[in-house]
Amino acid sequence: MKARRKEELMGYLFLVPYLLLFILFVIIPVLVSAWLSVVQLDLTNASKSAFIGAQNFTDALKDDFFWQATGATGRFALLMVPSVLVLGTAMALGMNRMSQGRDMVRALVYMPSMLNVAATGILWQWFFNNEFGLFNYTIRKAGGTPIPWLTDANMAMPSVVLMSLWWTVGGTSVVVLTALQQIPKMYFEAASLDGANGRHIFFRIMIPLLKPVLLFVFVTTTIASFQMFGQAAILTGGGPTFATRGVVQYMFETAFNGYRFGYGAAISWLLFAAILVFSTIQARVLKSQVEG
Amino acid sequence: MSKLRGSFNIHALVLGVLVLVLATGVIRWSMLGGGIGSKKTRLAFWNGFTGPDGVVMLKIIEDFNRENPDVEVAMQRIPWATYYNKLTVAGSDGRGPEIFVVHTDALPRIRRAGFVADISDLYEGPDAIDVDDFDRVVVDQVQFGGHLEGVPLDIHPQGAFLNKQMLKQAGFVDANGDPRAPKDRREMLDFIGKATLEPSGELKDKQWAFAFTYWGANFRSLLPQFGGRYLDENGNAALDSEPNLKALEFLADIAKNKQAPPADNGLGWFGFRTKRVAMVWDGVFMLGDLTRLNDFEYLGAPIPQIGDRPGTLANSHVLCVNKSVSETEREASGRFLKYLSDHSLEWASAGQVPARKSVRANPEFAKMPVQFAFAQQIPTMMYPPRTPVIFEFMLELDRAVERVVRGQIGPKEALAEANKNAQAVIERDRREYPASYAGAEANQ
Repeated sequence: MKARRKEELMGYLFLVPYLLLFILFVIIPVLVSAWLSVVQLDLTNASKSAFIGAQNFTDALKDDFFWQATGATGRFALLMVPSVLVLGTAMALGMNRMSQGRDMVRALVYMPSMLNVAATGILWQWFFNNEFGLFNYTIRKAGGTPIPWLTDANMAMPSVVLMSLWWTVGGTSVVVLTALQQIPKMYFEAASLDGANGRHIFFRIMIPLLKPVLLFVFVTTTIASFQMFGQAAILTGGGPTFATRGVVQYMFETAFNGYRFGYGAAISWLLFAAILVFSTIQARVLKSQVEG
Repeated sequence: MSKLRGSFNIHALVLGVLVLVLATGVIRWSMLGGGIGSKKTRLAFWNGFTGPDGVVMLKIIEDFNRENPDVEVAMQRIPWATYYNKLTVAGSDGRGPEIFVVHTDALPRIRRAGFVADISDLYEGPDAIDVDDFDRVVVDQVQFGGHLEGVPLDIHPQGAFLNKQMLKQAGFVDANGDPRAPKDRREMLDFIGKATLEPSGELKDKQWAFAFTYWGANFRSLLPQFGGRYLDENGNAALDSEPNLKALEFLADIAKNKQAPPADNGLGWFGFRTKRVAMVWDGVFMLGDLTRLNDFEYLGAPIPQIGDRPGTLANSHVLCVNKSVSETEREASGRFLKYLSDHSLEWASAGQVPARKSVRANPEFAKMPVQFAFAQQIPTMMYPPRTPVIFEFMLELDRAVERVVRGQIGPKEALAEANKNAQAVIERDRREYPASYAGAEANQ
């Protein structure tokens, strides 16, 4: 018993360095942000902060910019999440069928995920550039009409999603491929012997067995989409006319450019609430399907 | 053997820790000015000069440190994107640098944090900086309630950058055959007509005469030309005035008539430096980017007079001192500020216009053609509005301009909406921070 307690204690001791950092950089900032959300606090007048209860939250709900940013975030998530799931799964299926060079292809498709968002954004800014960009140059060469990738309010968000897909879908496909390779081959062999065709195998064997992984990808991609910031901030600056400015960018600009820390904190808590609600619903729905 | 190894490891560990503690102590001691006979006053100088301008500034500081052995100025460069956050947090908490740079438009907001010192005394006395050596409009930017809170180091007006080759091709040459810039509305439109080319229909051959750089700033360059303004006499938003409308209508027509490519992030400047655009309007500080290019002949000129008078927008880097410095640090800070101001001709080589008239009168300044040309606009330039809510105010204005140049909304409607929103921001700030708008705290 004594030895076991000592072992437990050792376990906690190993956790201490991480816990200290976790408390310092996560728990305390979360608590501070909760406090900030109920005060009126301007960074240039921090000594004169005042408790104002839920006013920051009610102000946000009446703020056109907040709803515009929420709409932009929603549009991004709606385009991004299904695209990542479909494309990531399709790429994984393709790689799974490869008999040669799979490792090389897997490394190549994963490579963009290793770039940081700044490098990716700047690179794609030149691809998308209206007059001098690679895409429109190629389109013109082929005799087509140039596309206003980033200058048209309706085109800008799909462009941001396109860049985000290039950046992240390789990572997703590698995760799904790993899950695919975990499925015992005998299932496929047995299904073939029973006369199942490719469509049957995909929908009756692969998809049900991939559901836990797809659930994971679905939830994490949704959360990441709700937190979209760097891609739009670098590629479009949130434009044109705020068409791609998401909630996180608006929160950042409010707090760190406008110095309204209380209001910015309230926006971040509203975003947290939205993520929590969506993630819970997704997890419950998909979990019931996985278990069912 | 095993016991010996364990004992050795513990001794090695203890020794290692002792060495580390000692080394840290020595480094800390030396940083705090330790050492026999060391009586240096150490000053931290924060700014956002992270480009080639930082190299020029570092050279001036090294010279100062050499000529003033009792003072050690250490420069900390922070990208402008995060500079003001860090400065405000550090300054509000009493941990700010002794000396720091603030743009004139950010000064009303930063000073509200309460750590910007009144340095009127630096302008007093026989060896002081002469306040009359600055243009009145420049001094006004650092004057609050009768006292001065900074030393303007430079002026960075927006002006026209032009491709010499394309000017010649369009026939814009003077009597000597040298390329010259379009001077007024008629010439500007004439130039656009002549220098916008698409000879073979292929993109690589396409040439635009003019492109927007940052459309909000391009619009603000035209405001003074029409007698426009941001705020009225009572500090209320005045964005929807008739002169502002006329300035915006000009840019709206340029966009509507496709006399410039669609406004795109970074497009204008990129097009200019790759010889696809003949003329852009941008800040004098962009010169640093051009000087790195080989085989590219350009000239700088005032913004063409589109309205009924010349004019452009401007901003300045202002040198400020922290309120919490000791008397010794303050004296040393004053000496450093004066040194920088006196050496602002060197600073001008980084792509700036010196704020002091006497420095601009130096024949050496005339040898900096772009800076010299941009400096001709000083008598008619207009600074951004003095308001603590500058970020939100400008966001409203810039959004209005963007919507207009993209053809989403008419100029009148856009300015009316921007004015309403900007006024709401001002009123909210007045409610929340009334002291910023009254008595000695007031910005006006």
